[in-house]
Amino acid sequence: MATIIRPRDERTQPARIVPGYPQTPLRNPREPLVRREPTLSELTGPLEVAGRVKLLGGDIAGHGAAQAIGQLMHLRVRVLDEDGAPVGGTVVEIWQANAAGRYIHPNDDDHAPPDPNFYGAARLVTDESGAFELRTVKPGAYPVPTGDGWWRPPHIHFSVFGKVWLSRLVTQMYFPGEPLNAQDRILNAVPDAAARERLVARYVPPTGNPHNALVFEHQIVLRGKAATAEQP
Amino acid sequence: MIPTGEATLGPFFPPRYVDAAANDLTQFEGRKAQGEVIEISGRVAQEDGAPLENLVVEIWQADAQGIFRHPADPRHAQADPGFFGWGRAATDKDGRYVFRTIRPGAPAGRQPHVNFMVMFSGLLRILKTTMFFEDGPDPVLSLVSNRRNLLIGKKAEPTLVTFDIRLRGENETPFFDD
Repeated sequence: MATIIRPRDERTQPARIVPGYPQTPLRNPREPLVRREPTLSELTGPLEVAGRVKLLGGDIAGHGAAQAIGQLMHLRVRVLDEDGAPVGGTVVEIWQANAAGRYIHPNDDDHAPPDPNFYGAARLVTDESGAFELRTVKPGAYPVPTGDGWWRPPHIHFSVFGKVWLSRLVTQMYFPGEPLNAQDRILNAVPDAAARERLVARYVPPTGNPHNALVFEHQIVLRGKAATAEQP
Repeated sequence: MIPTGEATLGPFFPPRYVDAAANDLTQFEGRKAQGEVIEISGRVAQEDGAPLENLVVEIWQADAQGIFRHPADPRHAQADPGFFGWGRAATDKDGRYVFRTIRPGAPAGRQPHVNFMVMFSGLLRILKTTMFFEDGPDPVLSLVSNRRNLLIGKKAEPTLVTFDIRLRGENETPFFDD
């Protein structure tokens, strides 16, 4: 199946150089990017990444005596393409801070305590409806070491492969109603307000099922439309 | 629907997501890839020349016959079953990445090449470029008229190709917007 990739509306994507994010002017090209029409090389891509990497289950909050500390939540995500068609069978990598805002990573030795019962990483495959579910705790906010009052709001990181090289996506999901969302330099690098809103998960009012966890829903749209057969 | 906005990988990408063998493309599902085994290695640096550690590099390439392991390639049925075509590496403290792979063949209408993606803290968007083995007629290479030498890997040894990636500054690597 051939995939069509069209240029994105730049207002729906983050700026590359962001005031107050000191690494961005050192690491992004000075020269304008070279515009290219995709060729077969970029309109193909790895389809069975699950056969090349180790999967990690989507339940990262622990159970019983080994349950992670924090607000237990279920996150229901669907991965779609630009036609709204489900992207099934694709690998999704997830990572997040614990409830105190601490990552399991040598780069994070900052301020907050680790939680021995919280692992913080999941690597899953979407089902045929493009869906996956993560059982986790809500991540905490944490200060960025710029020292000027920038805090990252609670967020979850996603890396998604999709069907072709140009559908590869690295993104972050935010939570509704968080006061820190309004000042976050990464979320607000996206100029279009509606595009920023689409990075925020939807809170699902509790129904009693599950009885012990909040539920959030989110949608990830990968680049690419199916090529329709040409009319004779 | 409108594609989701990108965001940076940030400084906390789990090291275990760079699987031990993910930078070795020379076998797949117990079969050896056909073709000449080569190493592609390079150093990734930012504007001041400082090497970048734990930066994530991914590659995607055709097999030794120039076929992509993907149904959009008309020759897909003949793809090498021992070659997956995708790999991931993280840079070491000197900013160096290494892939062990096979020399790709020429896909239809193209010079042999390897697609690169770079993901890192401070990159709100994935940076994409393409490495070639030598100059020649190619629709992507021809878009980069005066800087095309920066897209051509250097043959350091018979089976070692060096491809340094400069994110910004002197000898800045050309990156593509597609």
